[in-house]
Amino acid sequence: MPQTETYILNMGPQHPSTHGVLRVNLELDGERILRATPMMGYLHRGIEKLLEARTYVQGVPYTDRLDYVSSMNNNFGYCRAVEELAGIEVPERAEYIRVIMAELNRIASHQVFIGSLANDLGASTGMLYTFRDREEILDLFDLVCGARMTFHYIRVGGVARDLPPEFAEKCRKFLDRVPEFTAEYANLLMGNEIFQRRLKGVSRLTPEQALAHNMTGPNIRATGIPFDIRKVDGYSVYPRFGFEVPVGENGDNWDRFQVRFREITESARIVRQALDGLPEGPVMAKFPKMLKPPQGEVFSRTEGTRGELGFYIVSDGTAKPYRVHIRRPSFINMQALDDMCRGYLIGDSVVAFSAIDPLMGEVDC
Amino acid sequence: MNAMLENGVVATVAGVLREYLMLLFGNQFLTDLIMKFIGIGAVIGVILSAAIVFTYAERKVCAFIQVRLGPNRVGGRFGLLQPFADMLKLMSKEDIIPAGCDRVVWALSPMLLFVPSALAYAFFPFDKGAVFADVNVGVFLLIAISSQAVLPFLMGGYASNSKYAMIGGMRTVAQMLSYEAPMVFSLLGIVMLTGSLKMSDIVAVQADNVWFVLLQPVAFVIFVITATAETNRTPFDLVEGESEIVAGAFAEYSGMRWALFFLAEYANLLAVSILTTTFFLGGWSGPVLPGVVWFWLKALFMVFFFMWLRWTLPRTRIDQMLSLSWKVLLPLALANVMCTGIGVYIYRWL
Amino acid sequence: MFGKGLMTGMGITIRHFFGRKATFCYPEEKLTMTEHFRGGHLTIDYKKCIACQLCAIQCPNQAIKLKVVTDANRKRHLESYVHSMGRCLYCDLCIEGCAPHALSWDKNYEISTWHKEDLVHQVITDEDRAYLADVMARAAANPTPPPAPKAPPKPAAKPATPSPETEVKPGE
Repeated sequence: MPQTETYILNMGPQHPSTHGVLRVNLELDGERILRATPMMGYLHRGIEKLLEARTYVQGVPYTDRLDYVSSMNNNFGYCRAVEELAGIEVPERAEYIRVIMAELNRIASHQVFIGSLANDLGASTGMLYTFRDREEILDLFDLVCGARMTFHYIRVGGVARDLPPEFAEKCRKFLDRVPEFTAEYANLLMGNEIFQRRLKGVSRLTPEQALAHNMTGPNIRATGIPFDIRKVDGYSVYPRFGFEVPVGENGDNWDRFQVRFREITESARIVRQALDGLPEGPVMAKFPKMLKPPQGEVFSRTEGTRGELGFYIVSDGTAKPYRVHIRRPSFINMQALDDMCRGYLIGDSVVAFSAIDPLMGEVDC
Repeated sequence: MNAMLENGVVATVAGVLREYLMLLFGNQFLTDLIMKFIGIGAVIGVILSAAIVFTYAERKVCAFIQVRLGPNRVGGRFGLLQPFADMLKLMSKEDIIPAGCDRVVWALSPMLLFVPSALAYAFFPFDKGAVFADVNVGVFLLIAISSQAVLPFLMGGYASNSKYAMIGGMRTVAQMLSYEAPMVFSLLGIVMLTGSLKMSDIVAVQADNVWFVLLQPVAFVIFVITATAETNRTPFDLVEGESEIVAGAFAEYSGMRWALFFLAEYANLLAVSILTTTFFLGGWSGPVLPGVVWFWLKALFMVFFFMWLRWTLPRTRIDQMLSLSWKVLLPLALANVMCTGIGVYIYRWL
Repeated sequence: MFGKGLMTGMGITIRHFFGRKATFCYPEEKLTMTEHFRGGHLTIDYKKCIACQLCAIQCPNQAIKLKVVTDANRKRHLESYVHSMGRCLYCDLCIEGCAPHALSWDKNYEISTWHKEDLVHQVITDEDRAYLADVMARAAANPTPPPAPKAPPKPAAKPATPSPETEVKPGE
């Protein structure tokens, strides 16, 4: 009497498309996925605890290592939380520079997303092209802060140093190239029929499901909810810039791709406006070297590349935070993986995972 | 010189060689035997040198498309000795035998995979009169042999005792079986036009008239698509599916065993390129240059085309791939056969 | 029409196939690092250093270990300065904290090593040690009298300067 049964496939931790070290337990019926359970913790470094053992200023380089593809955004989030806690007023020029850096980093991060999605779909050439263009942003960062990955440029109270004189020109040159390379991605990938058929209608989430999973960032915007903290909270100097929040309609992988793709252009718009309106002045606020915020707690959120990046800091009045908790968007978005995979095929699970765009450094923290 | 152009370079050289061997041994049977062995050696040599050239070419083509420089260390600025370095690396690798595998089946699989891909070379007309075995059911035999490649994949996937390999093996069966059918039907039109299953006849008809790519454009497209699927290359590389099932059926192989899979893959790549050349691009026929040059020019162009496809397109999904085969390609191929039949009938009636 | 997107994609890749390449042969051609590049070994301008230990205090990961000696003139000098590159975050806080601008990166990015132990880098060179011995000897030969304590002495002033040969535990 022949019998069929489901089987468990351990995808990862060593697998080409888990973007780091994630293990997904797939329960399969043939090629069809019945259940997908992400198992994480392979990259846990205890960054929250590390931050508690350092002073507020010393903690900033550790946030670089959370989401290492968009370090600037992490620096930004952490510094905003500390500033709110300590009541530091950031100079205007520094705020503008922060916005420029955060948005450039958003472009870079979305390029990595497009590239890795293409790679997971088997088109490794697409990945090389996006990484080639990302290099230009990294060169810009290299110019201002001397690093290409862990920037540690946005500091508590401002930014590390003023922009070098040639930055504005080089940045504009890059912004002029944005339409050129987005057109190239569009022609190579977006127009490709195989690419479209792999993404459209796959891993659909309704707005209700996405809300129930507390998804944020491009993932929730893909379902049609225009939730963008840059608009909702209007923090920093974002209200001064005109930009749109791209939203999707169906909440499938195609919309997730589209939202991020259009965000590249919007971010470029913000950077251009910020460059035009860049005021003169100092780039660092004045505050005591040994920062001791008053007792209290703060939760500050920013729009990271992958969603709502929140820092919860409790101060007991000493030089080191009493407790730091990080709301990592990747980690929370990962919850939806199961819903996104159920009923689809093995090939789709890779794409679904890639479309959430998690970074294991941030998931495991 | 005229005789050379008349009979083809390879055939002329073989004829001269045969005469010398006759003088040397004075024995018809011995000479034939030696000539057969020389033929086998030549064919194997073609396969091996193809593997060497293509590993290099693939890396270079891939690199150039991906705006990289590609191999540039081993053997001068252009990295010409890279394939040998790769080979050395593969040979010096540890031969890992996975726990719980079916040893015999597992070890046989890479060897068996190489056999059908090498065997197919026996029927290729490299030049006028240069076919190792010009049998009168050439096309039929070729298809029969090349479909044997399914089994080793399944064996490797089953015997590896790995779920990834098993999925890869099952995918191979589904893929190869469903692409065999439209491929055969796309070739049927050509067979109807030539009225022969003999490979050399097919080329000879094209040399006298026009290339079949002009008469059978639909069949050509179908054949190229199915050929990519047969060789398991992107967009149909679901069998390997690097980002999904790691390496599919080869997941547990290492060192020289894996190299054999690799060798078979490149042998297959060249085989389908030669087939496309023979069936649709007129084989060795062409003006001015000797036939063998034309043949290799066309075949290598097809190889480049397949590489170009591979490094541009994303991968399809298994259900999309199967539905493409059964719902699109097969009806199209059947319609093509019917149209060809009507066309041939009308042509004769005229 | 189905296939149009595939064709445009093929067109792009073939253009890049013949186009200019983005990479170059690394060990033969090298990039120049930017002005603020953070990486490589720490270097110290020994004559500028005032041995204030701020760099070690600033370091978030205690990658800098240093020893300070005081000469006969009660001037502090570095005796040893160890940079553990394996612990270093390359965050630049030490260099930014250096008041006399004595500390800098050497911008050498080829710093991989075969062994973990080799990641520990002695920043002070032999030349610096010779200079230190020279300074120490000169100070010993010609000591200036310690400045007379101001009257009235402050009750519980700053803790005494680190006694010679004590290792400073940074980051505390």
